[in-house]
Amino acid sequence: MTQATDMRPSVPMDADIIIVGCGPAGMTAAIELAEANRSVIVLDMQPTPGGQIFRNLEDNISQQSSDRQALLAALGPAYRAGADLIRRFRASSRIDYRPLTTVWEVRPDGTVGWLRGMDAGYLRATTVILAHGAMERPVPFPGWTLPGVMTAGSVQTLLKAGNLKPTGNVVLAGTGPLLLLLATQLHKLGVKPTLIARTDRFSDGLRAMRYLRRNGLLPVVKGLGWLAQLKRSGVRMTSGVSDLAAEGERKVEAVSFTVKGRRVRQPCDLLVVHDGIVPAIDIPNGAGLALQWDQTNASWRPRTTSDGLASSALPPDLQPERCVVRITGDARRIGGAEATIAHGRLTAQAILAELRKGDGISSKSQQAVDRTLSVRPFLDAAFPPGLSAKLPDDNTIVCRCEELTAGALREKIRAGFGNMDALRGETRCGMGPCQGRNCMITAARLIEEDRGACGSTPPVFRGRPPIRPLPLGALAGLTGLDPSATELLTLEDKPEHDVEATSDVPAE
Amino acid sequence: MSRQSETALIIGAGLQGCSIALFLARAGWNVTLLDKNVAGRHASSVNAGGLRMLMRDWREYPLSQRAMEHWVHLDRLVGEKAADACEVRLGVSQIGLALDEAEMSWAVGRAEDMKKRGLGEEELLSREDVRTLLPGVSENALGGLISRRDGHANPAAATRAFREAAVAAGARIVENCRVLGLERVRGGGWRAETSFGQHEGGVLINCGGAWGARVAAMAGQTLPLKTVAPSMMVTARTQPFLTPVVIGIDRPLSFKQSAVGSLVIGGGILGKPCPDQDTSFTVMDRMPQSAAATLEAFPALAHVPVLRTWTGLEGATPDGIPVIGPGQGTPDLWHVFGFCGHGFQLSPAVGEAVAKSLVSGTLEATLAPFDCGRFASRVAA
Ligand SMILES: Cc1cc2nc3c(=O)[nH]c(=O)nc-3n(C[C@H](O)[C@H](O)[C@H](O)COP(=O)(O)OP(=O)(O)OC[C@H]3O[C@@H](n4cnc5c(N)ncnc54)[C@H](O)[C@@H]3O)c2cc1C
Repeated sequence: MTQATDMRPSVPMDADIIIVGCGPAGMTAAIELAEANRSVIVLDMQPTPGGQIFRNLEDNISQQSSDRQALLAALGPAYRAGADLIRRFRASSRIDYRPLTTVWEVRPDGTVGWLRGMDAGYLRATTVILAHGAMERPVPFPGWTLPGVMTAGSVQTLLKAGNLKPTGNVVLAGTGPLLLLLATQLHKLGVKPTLIARTDRFSDGLRAMRYLRRNGLLPVVKGLGWLAQLKRSGVRMTSGVSDLAAEGERKVEAVSFTVKGRRVRQPCDLLVVHDGIVPAIDIPNGAGLALQWDQTNASWRPRTTSDGLASSALPPDLQPERCVVRITGDARRIGGAEATIAHGRLTAQAILAELRKGDGISSKSQQAVDRTLSVRPFLDAAFPPGLSAKLPDDNTIVCRCEELTAGALREKIRAGFGNMDALRGETRCGMGPCQGRNCMITAARLIEEDRGACGSTPPVFRGRPPIRPLPLGALAGLTGLDPSATELLTLEDKPEHDVEATSDVPAE
Repeated sequence: MSRQSETALIIGAGLQGCSIALFLARAGWNVTLLDKNVAGRHASSVNAGGLRMLMRDWREYPLSQRAMEHWVHLDRLVGEKAADACEVRLGVSQIGLALDEAEMSWAVGRAEDMKKRGLGEEELLSREDVRTLLPGVSENALGGLISRRDGHANPAAATRAFREAAVAAGARIVENCRVLGLERVRGGGWRAETSFGQHEGGVLINCGGAWGARVAAMAGQTLPLKTVAPSMMVTARTQPFLTPVVIGIDRPLSFKQSAVGSLVIGGGILGKPCPDQDTSFTVMDRMPQSAAATLEAFPALAHVPVLRTWTGLEGATPDGIPVIGPGQGTPDLWHVFGFCGHGFQLSPAVGEAVAKSLVSGTLEATLAPFDCGRFASRVAA
């Protein structure tokens, strides 16, 4: 975005396609493209392929120890199912896989900034696929920054990558399939949750029934199975809870919430929260790509064509000639593993068709996408955003990096900082290490609240590189620069000094 | 209603526009400020907040000295509460660090030069001095220059403080109001055609910042100005280790540690200016040079992560100092822009001197070096 396209011919291409993210969507697209003889670079933060869902799968399968076997059994067949995909991905010689690599800038013209350890640089390709996935919906509530409060995703990560199980009194709160799945997995590992406090209600489930499609029955049956299992084993579950709060001095000691008009307090050692997952928009927003507001999911997602082509939202004369970024998988639209595999394939086929090396999108691929997404309307209706449904009260911290409360932000918004970037400049909200990933949505909603706006696309912080922390030393040694852009331009204001030469002008 | 000559129409509600408005309104003038965005949206709010006399062009010195007095007593200008919010830290000093022989000999010459002029703010620092003052400084540091009274402030808060004080003094601010054309009013004064109606004033003051030359052109005056976009970056918080602001002599470096521990790094590396879009972009391909300059001065910081970069739009004149004064042959049209990346510190003194000159009808002596005439501007027919 900071480079004009006319500069591009001077910079060599590093691959045909760069893929950001090595989850099911990224791996599927990479395999498909490599099989069609395209050169592919895959960048991923994790040490091994798999993404969130298949995290650390190779290692967990290869270890024979009994606790790993127990873990595999608890994580279930859906986890194991990734093994074949990972094997095919590893086997492809045309895929240049670069693990432990963090992407900190993407430009619509196909330039990608990467960081690995203390090395950083730019890579360029004819097409870039963003398959960087989703994140858990950030939910500020009283006490959410206390030690002992975690999200379901991070608990699952500890299970998969570290085989670390929580101990003590575990309470799960929130909504969504992941919450129930995690509860089942924990239970299988011998950690029986004390309580599952769900924000969704029975009526949500009933309302969702009208969105049930035959193709989407399987996941629903699976979910009902988890529920039945939890019930059978006597895990307590309430639904329709609201006003969640974590209590404790130095760490969480109890959780409280309102249910049926009554305030309930439950002591706990670990509070696991989850409010559904949303596309991670930090990279698209940083790239200046167009976003759209998804009302049902109360989240942003990138605006793309059905085969994933993104569009630039930069002003017309800042736009590259062509936006070569495509977005696939959960980064485009939340769908779960199967849906992301289907869309990853579709995206690859669209690119091949564009490069005239493929037959285009097969009807089978399109059908697979439609089929795997068909359960979404049901899930969206059954598990609406809960913990985040109400905006936090004045005392609740919104930006945890800078410890800013909703009250502090509201005050600034009322004082005229009703623009995201102005608010950020004024309060430092979104300037900490999370770079806005956790607070942006709440800050945007607080601005909307002040304006009395609803239903529109909430404003975003203008994304600026680096969107992930980049050590000074790595930046100093940045490689792959665009020679035409690196020319050092500085504001030359070092004064001349030569008192004799200028002595005709009197000093004041 | 005041007489026509006592009405001012100011274009641009940045710090310069707001400061002038404040002093003029306090002098009883009827002041209207127009801004195409919101007040302070541009350079004034996003700059490095450096309150620096160090290494200034000597022609700016008297104005800069006066400005320092205002910063010291900011509460008298904008009120105690607003002044508090501005986080003015003076006396922490700014240091020009010499990292090679050429820079050191420039510093020696500069110190002598300033002494000859009777401007004693800058002292020479030895190798040992910089080690004591700057823990963690590179082995290569040979010394430098220090200006002990210098420091920094919060630019966004300062701009707001001046804006609010101007409003409290009676100035009117019209935001989201883009000036599209200018014409003389028969019988004196100027009329601005804007995206938000017409506005008139006996005196027109062009505080258009990076767009100053465009505004001048609307009045038929040609002034040389380059639009530039100086870049900044900020890191994660680190242990507090540094109080002074460190700037480079021949290197693109301006470096300080904020109260919360983050490092704020500037130094004038330019991004991509997009004045037509009211924005600018960081060119990351140039930022390695900024990072390298920082590490040259403080090698131990290699692992500190940069979290964010940003840029702001500023106007640069050919000789590195601003234009402040009436246009050629137009005593009722003033140009106040082209601060070349160091106008934040000057702003209270600029406001005062411009207002005094307009009220008295005689140009303040401190403004003499900034005459527009030095660029032999042509007045269009
Ligand atoms: C990154 C950066 C770092 C800096 N660091 C420092 C520092 O450390 N110390 C220091 O002293 N200085 C610093 N500066 C310089 C300082 O910020 C500027 O010199 C100063 O803010 C200029 O103020 P201004 O009011 O002239 O300009 P601005 O704040 O840019 O205001 C100009 C205003 O004019 C308006 N305008 C323009 N055209 C029109 C039109 N047609 N109609 C209506 N409105 C219009 C604009 O919208 C804008 O609000 C830095 C600058 C930058 C960009």
